[in-house]
Amino acid sequence: MISQFFVLSQRGDHIVFRDYRGEVPKGSAEIFFRKVKFWNDDEAEEAPPVFNVDGVNYIHVKVAGLFFVVTTMVNVSPSLLLELLQRIARVTKDYLGVLNEDSLRKNFILVYELLDEVIDFGYPQTTSTEVLKSYIFNEPIMVDAGRLPPLGPAAMFMQGTKRMPGTAVTKSVVATEPGGKKREEIFVDIIERISVTFSSSGYILTSEIDGTIQMKSYLTGNPEIRLALNEDLSIGRTGSSTYDYRSSSGGGAVILDDCNFHESVHLDSFDIDRTLHLIPPDGEFAVMNYRITQEFKPPFRVTALIEEAGPARAEVLLKIRADFSANVTANTIVVQMPVPSYTMRASFELEAGAIVGGSEHTLRAKLTFSQESHGNLTKEAGPVNMNFTIPMYNTSKLQIAKKSKTYNPYRWVRYVTQANSYVARL
Amino acid sequence: MSGHDSKYFSTTKKGEIPELKEELNSQYKDKRKDAVKKVIAAMTVGKDVSSLFTDVVNCMQTENLELKKLVYLYLINYAKSQPDLAILAVNTFVKDSQDPNPLIRALAVRTMGCIRVDKITEYLCDPLQRCLKDDDPYVRKTAAICVAKLYDINAELVEDRGFLEALKDLISDNNPMVVANAVAALAEIQDSSTRPIFEITSHTLSKLLTALNECTEWGQVFILDSLSRYKAADAREAENIVERVTPRLQHANCAVVLSAVKIILLQMELITSTDVVRNLCKKMAPPLVTLLSAEPEIQYVALRNINLIVQKRPTILAHEIKVFFCKYNDPIYVKMEKLEIMIKLASDRNIDQVLLEFKEYATEVDVDFVRKAVRAIGRCAIKLERAAERCISVLLELIKIKVNYVVQEAIIVIKDIFRRYPNTYESIIATLCESLDTLDEPEAKASMIWIIGEYAERIDNADELLESFLETFPEEPALVQLQLLTATVKLFLKKPTEGPQQMIQAVLNNATVETDNPDLRDRAYIYWRLLSTDPEAAKDVVLAEKPVISDDSNQLDSSLLDDLLANISTLSSVYHKPPEAFVSRVKTAPRADDEEFADTAETGYSESPSQGVDGASPSSSAGTSSNVPVKQPAAPAAPAPMPDLLGDLMGMDNSIVPVDEPTAPSGPPLPVLLPSTTGQGLQISAQLVRRDGQIFYDISFDNGTQAVLDGFMIQFNKNTFGLAAGGALQVSPLQPGTSARTLLPMVAFQNLSPGAPSSLLQVAVKNNQQPVWYFNDKIPMHAFFGEDGKMERTSFLEAWKSLPDDNEFSKEFPSSVISSVDAAVEHLAASNVFFIAKRKNSNKDVLYMSAKIPRGIPFLIELTAAVGVPGVKCAVKTPNKEMVALFFEAMESLLK
Repeated sequence: MISQFFVLSQRGDHIVFRDYRGEVPKGSAEIFFRKVKFWNDDEAEEAPPVFNVDGVNYIHVKVAGLFFVVTTMVNVSPSLLLELLQRIARVTKDYLGVLNEDSLRKNFILVYELLDEVIDFGYPQTTSTEVLKSYIFNEPIMVDAGRLPPLGPAAMFMQGTKRMPGTAVTKSVVATEPGGKKREEIFVDIIERISVTFSSSGYILTSEIDGTIQMKSYLTGNPEIRLALNEDLSIGRTGSSTYDYRSSSGGGAVILDDCNFHESVHLDSFDIDRTLHLIPPDGEFAVMNYRITQEFKPPFRVTALIEEAGPARAEVLLKIRADFSANVTANTIVVQMPVPSYTMRASFELEAGAIVGGSEHTLRAKLTFSQESHGNLTKEAGPVNMNFTIPMYNTSKLQIAKKSKTYNPYRWVRYVTQANSYVARL
Repeated sequence: MSGHDSKYFSTTKKGEIPELKEELNSQYKDKRKDAVKKVIAAMTVGKDVSSLFTDVVNCMQTENLELKKLVYLYLINYAKSQPDLAILAVNTFVKDSQDPNPLIRALAVRTMGCIRVDKITEYLCDPLQRCLKDDDPYVRKTAAICVAKLYDINAELVEDRGFLEALKDLISDNNPMVVANAVAALAEIQDSSTRPIFEITSHTLSKLLTALNECTEWGQVFILDSLSRYKAADAREAENIVERVTPRLQHANCAVVLSAVKIILLQMELITSTDVVRNLCKKMAPPLVTLLSAEPEIQYVALRNINLIVQKRPTILAHEIKVFFCKYNDPIYVKMEKLEIMIKLASDRNIDQVLLEFKEYATEVDVDFVRKAVRAIGRCAIKLERAAERCISVLLELIKIKVNYVVQEAIIVIKDIFRRYPNTYESIIATLCESLDTLDEPEAKASMIWIIGEYAERIDNADELLESFLETFPEEPALVQLQLLTATVKLFLKKPTEGPQQMIQAVLNNATVETDNPDLRDRAYIYWRLLSTDPEAAKDVVLAEKPVISDDSNQLDSSLLDDLLANISTLSSVYHKPPEAFVSRVKTAPRADDEEFADTAETGYSESPSQGVDGASPSSSAGTSSNVPVKQPAAPAAPAPMPDLLGDLMGMDNSIVPVDEPTAPSGPPLPVLLPSTTGQGLQISAQLVRRDGQIFYDISFDNGTQAVLDGFMIQFNKNTFGLAAGGALQVSPLQPGTSARTLLPMVAFQNLSPGAPSSLLQVAVKNNQQPVWYFNDKIPMHAFFGEDGKMERTSFLEAWKSLPDDNEFSKEFPSSVISSVDAAVEHLAASNVFFIAKRKNSNKDVLYMSAKIPRGIPFLIELTAAVGVPGVKCAVKTPNKEMVALFFEAMESLLK
């Protein structure tokens, strides 16, 4: 099982180091760091998350710019270790409020206490913040979240929208508020990451939604929560291909290809009324993950054009149309388009600003090349890649209604759509 | 608590240790706690604070759990270096293990198990015994893991104290967390033991399946992984297990999903109903695809596993190829794996879609990814005949972009396409030639040169093209030089005009005189000789039709694949290597083995004296035979026990350790093949022998090391007769100073080596303690002389006449003496060389004899010698000329 667990900074400094079995030779953290920094086996530049050096297996994930690593000497399940690393990061964040080098260092004793309960002799024991609370005695020391760069999917709520107090997502689930009384509140986030590939002629080649219903509960007494989803929700694609995009878009049932649930979720009545029953454990967790390849209306239409304009010159025309309602605004928009490697100069005409629903934006650019192109500009430039976040917008039309008769905590239901891989080919 | 923990990291002034010492002994609790924190902080940054051991341990007796945990953390770290002081903590541990607070009880047991000091483990047993039966599940689950800890330190103690039984009882515990830990601990103990400890019966099976539903996600993985070792009795049970496991596919934890997939795949092997199998395949597809929505790290693991799954069951994901299309923001390691799976799933139905993707990837920025995409197009062309043309047109499109590395990669794959579909797509050669001067990578250059040589007759200016490469011949890498050499020869054979003739002379000169590369030189000399002696033969060799290739790159062979599929969801399935290849954990030898060991040790002793007797009196055996190690001297005398012994040997019975049959281990000393100086004390002597129509490897091991050697295994390299071991090598553990000898049955024609016949037999022997030893032996051909080699006089004469004179060879054995014709005949007959007739020729005797080797190849022999005078002339006629040299070797040794 797990021999060692350690957290390294981006520079390779040890932040946390715990050896559970004393079987891995000294210097493993250094060996790991060197290997990851100078990975050139197989000519791939980025080290894969699982590799073996001299009989020691290193499994790592990158969270918040930190390396979370475990080592093992035996043939264990790497997905278990990868999941565990993610979970350790999440539990630590639940406790510390913010996960970064500073907060880990300030709370190292608490972190060691956590690690002793989470892993025993290399075997994962529990990663439930709820369960851990009864075994952990150190109090977290808060770091000032204000100056810290935002992290994770919740970060998007801290910019732009003023719907909620900015510190809510960065507060510890265990620490008592300075004010004394704890606020009864619960956050439910429906986060959808969408991937769309447009062909050069503007057709949709592939489209997919990876959705998560995230919950972070600060409720006392662990009341039962009921989450009602769309009543016409169905699971599993039917025989006919969902890839043909006939003009049947628009309203209609939400069809999930597949979904899975957190273990605290009871699905007893899910088949009847599409309601999830759960007693939310403390801390942040995914109530449900789902995947949709059913056709949907992409929030942005992207068309890109590159044309030769005389010898060693080309013109780029990039159009983005926001296909959502005008009361929604997309932000953190980045559009990238690689140009041929022999491009010397590019001049722009840009309409800037955040994109409001319904608007259309055009970018024109003139390129000057150092040589004549081979007449294959579309192959050497592009594809156009777009990154964005649209708060209070969900692509799949999956809705959540929370039903509780007597109990009324502060509740924050938030929808957000993010670009995963949003690509327009030339 | 005030301030931040990080203050404990602040750099220290002089005298930090005395300062801490003072604080640790402070009368104030808070101050002591702060001091311990400082100590831990120093410890984690690598400072040596072991000198504070006593002072820290003094803080252990506290009600404050926070402080207690800190002290324990310190103890675990330093107990090993201060074993004597660690004893000081024992009392507190034992006391804590009886504390009314379950947290403290568990903490004590957990920490004691982590202190790997012998003296402490003794004291651990009683608390552990109690905690395994504790009322509180938290204590029990901690104790369960602690048994595994203790087993790692002292396996004997665990077995003596009956902890294994206690652990097995915990499988029936009512708390799923306890069950999960008990399963994990038992699985680990089983892994490090050679004895069956944790065997899943149908009874435990149902308990585990029940616990599965209530466990934490981690516990579910432990249980699922243990269940994967269970072999269902029949299809019905397999279906039953699968039915109970299938709901796990819905779990949000990818590890649970993959472990469930592993079990379903394994049990599916037993399920006979095609409907059920098809249904299961359908159920597995969506969860497998969903794994690709997880973090990229998990996607990577999932993709490596899916790669294996689609090789075994391509139908599962046949319709899901779209999900493997690369996303813009996928890390490179994910993209590379996706490409691999796309190639595997590519079919006539989806190839257009796939090609569109590949074409797009081939114009991205990441060079490695682009190269792989181009290669992928080529592999699809080779895999799908009907799509080959479309693939080639995509490749040509890419070549036209004139991005250097794309062009080179395309040329490499086009060479393979030409190999796959000869004489089909040569029309594109002209396009390829346009890029000739931009090639700078050896593999691309070599591929282009191969194409030019192969199709020299269709390329008008092939000679000019090749000539342009020749100028830089001496500077080219070996790969390119070899191709240039072969291509020039091809050109010359196809267009034997003046230009190519000059070229070939230049090349042959370059490749023979002016090179240090033996491969190149040898190849050049062969061509040279072929061309100068027989150009037609050269054509047959160089321009021979090549076998058609198929795309088997990245395809695993079926036995490895099955091995890896049984390891789905483990590191093994990510590396695509069997676990033995990277796990080097030593198994502890449990005591049961020791007992066995005592028995065999006795064997060893009883055996060696008998050998000593033999060794001391070799002259006691018949004079002639003692000089001929081939045949057992006792063979004629002791025919009775032989069949039994052989029966045992053939049956591979474990009990055949040669204890009390004198025939097997005795006999003349064997030639030493691995001297003890080379074998780090181990000496190996061996020889091939034939007994009762069966070939054996008579092998003996002398253990001159200080250690017990066991786990002997043997392997033979490919050889002319295809000799291979016909069973496992049966050698019991060898005590220092003893030896063991055994007869290993051999089978022929198993792993034949191509090429000229040779008597060389390369042997590899390994054991558990030493590195692998390699040594060479000679195959005595007479071991193959069959009992059916006797010929009638008339048939001998006919055979002799029917064979052309070309097939007659003769050789003098100057040092051989025939002292008596009768003795010689008898002696040779014992080796299956049969006497047919004899005549006198002046003072010499001429003997006619016959022998036969397997596959009915006869040897007709004529021996001419004067009795008592050194020098025997041996003439032989045989249809198989190649074997003659080996035959003479054998005869010479028989006549020594």
